Amino acid sequence: MSELALFLVRIGFVAVLWIFILSLLSVIRADLYGRRVISKIARQNAPALAGGGSVAGSVASLGIEDGEVFDPTQIAMLTGRTAGTFIDIAGKRELLIGRGASSDVVISDEFASNMHSKLVLVGEDWVLQDLNSTNGTFLDGRKVTTPATIRQGATIRIGTTTFELR
Amino acid sequence: MSNVSLTTAIPMLLKAVPRSRNFEAVLLFWVAGIHAFALAQVQLAVLQKMSWDMLFYWAPPAITAAIVHYILRKHAVGADGLMLPLAYLLNGLGIAMIYRLDLAEAARGGIEIYADRQVWLSCFAMIVAAAVVRLVPNHLVLRRYPYLAGAMAVFLLMLPAAPVIGKTINGATLWVGVGELSFQPGEVAKILLAIFFAGYLVSKKDTLSEIGSRLLFMKVPRAKDLGPILLFWAASLGVLVLQRDLGTSILYFGLFLVMIYTATGRAFYVGAGLTMMVTGALVASRVFDYVGRRFDAWLDPFSAENYNAAGGSYQLVQALFGMANGDVIGTGLGGGFPQLIPLAESDFILAAMGEELGLAGLFAILAIYLLLVYRGLRIANSHPDDFSRLLSIGLSFVIGLQLFVVSAGVMGLLPMTGLTTPFMAAGGSSLVANWVIIALLLRISDSSFKRVEA
Repeated sequence: MSELALFLVRIGFVAVLWIFILSLLSVIRADLYGRRVISKIARQNAPALAGGGSVAGSVASLGIEDGEVFDPTQIAMLTGRTAGTFIDIAGKRELLIGRGASSDVVISDEFASNMHSKLVLVGEDWVLQDLNSTNGTFLDGRKVTTPATIRQGATIRIGTTTFELR
Repeated sequence: MSNVSLTTAIPMLLKAVPRSRNFEAVLLFWVAGIHAFALAQVQLAVLQKMSWDMLFYWAPPAITAAIVHYILRKHAVGADGLMLPLAYLLNGLGIAMIYRLDLAEAARGGIEIYADRQVWLSCFAMIVAAAVVRLVPNHLVLRRYPYLAGAMAVFLLMLPAAPVIGKTINGATLWVGVGELSFQPGEVAKILLAIFFAGYLVSKKDTLSEIGSRLLFMKVPRAKDLGPILLFWAASLGVLVLQRDLGTSILYFGLFLVMIYTATGRAFYVGAGLTMMVTGALVASRVFDYVGRRFDAWLDPFSAENYNAAGGSYQLVQALFGMANGDVIGTGLGGGFPQLIPLAESDFILAAMGEELGLAGLFAILAIYLLLVYRGLRIANSHPDDFSRLLSIGLSFVIGLQLFVVSAGVMGLLPMTGLTTPFMAAGGSSLVANWVIIALLLRISDSSFKRVEA
């Protein structure tokens, strides 16, 4: 075995090790940084959003405020164990939120009470009311003490779980 | 198009992690290739030709890894897809290096059979891992017996200090032996301790994290809640005294600190624990002669006195010279002189790797460990159950911490210890224990997968 060949083998081996590691990294890149697959998911969800709250949805995405009534059709879970899921609320008038299984919006979070808070449709507005929960309900970062009306794009936080109406 | 905001998309992405068994199969083929490449390189460099002997060091572990893969397909289809290939890769690299050291020994006229043993022990360890995956249908049964696990861990830790069966090798009392067979109970104890801490902390975490008064910017727990940390500090110092090994006591105390920190989220425990550990170690280095000698060899390895002392810094200095000889890209497997380092096949296998694969190769190996530990933490992060989260944090962290202590010892960053390099070093107890950790992590990741699906 010539010196040169051995040299190539030796460089080759370290290179192969690194190629292995880098290709593993590229495969789990989504796991590390969360990029690449976004467009795919966005594409999958686009029809659902367009079919559901077409006007509200597109307005929300453009960030334009106009006279349109905010008429959400679903709850989007943003963080927490159920993050990424949607709950359909079209046609509902009252939603119980909490850890209990009988809730309309079940929050699996250590900081949520069994019956934590309530969303009620008053006229054309959804109103958020805290049901004397242990750790409180937060609307856009402020603790809900008296019933509060939900504005478009407002996020509701219970423990480590956040969600919004769309 | 971008109606889904980033906040909603990222969690969905995290569920799209490669868990599929097909992916694992592809990786296993690749890893088996790297394993064969390493063996071929050893033969080419040392024997100047390739011989069929290579098959013996390649086929049994490769086939056993395939069996583990098959068991996962049958019984834990949702388990993480990266852990098995990564662990097998480290194991395979270890076998190649031990084989290389055996060849060097044979060239000197000695007979070394470490590599043959390592091959069979690896197969045995992987079979044990497969059995754990197959026979433990749900890791939550472990939650029922935290105190039993704790008691068994303490018993195992005490075992080497027992008369007759206890063995002292190179100044550290870490082994239990009957005749030719020896066994390092501390390796198994670390799994039992992780189970014990997870079970204990899951039930106590609220008391430990919520109650206490605020002092400066830290929340200080009540005096009576300090009991466990004091007890454990005393226990790990006891290990240091009884087993004469700093590494083991750092490993167990570190595991405890990380798990209590994870369970409670209080920096107080880490701060207090580290201070106590450092104080304890410094006092021990003054009081106990054998600890003091290790400290001297660590602080000033190049002094003639330490270099020539029995159990002094000779080994460390050889390792440092070896790694310096390896430079950035290494001498190539079979090209260096790692056989000059005492115990290169077990305690100092990282130094041998550093010499022959160079800085680039050693970093690659560390990166493989990093990925392995990262997968474990990832499993913990995505599991809905608290006990499983804590247990997987503990199990994966213990591999990371053990690697840190060993590599720091080899590089002269910490005093030398008797811990083994996970998956690579020659030695059955270490292989079995670490493969069982992998099996448990695979089991845990599979259960989290099912819950997400449900």
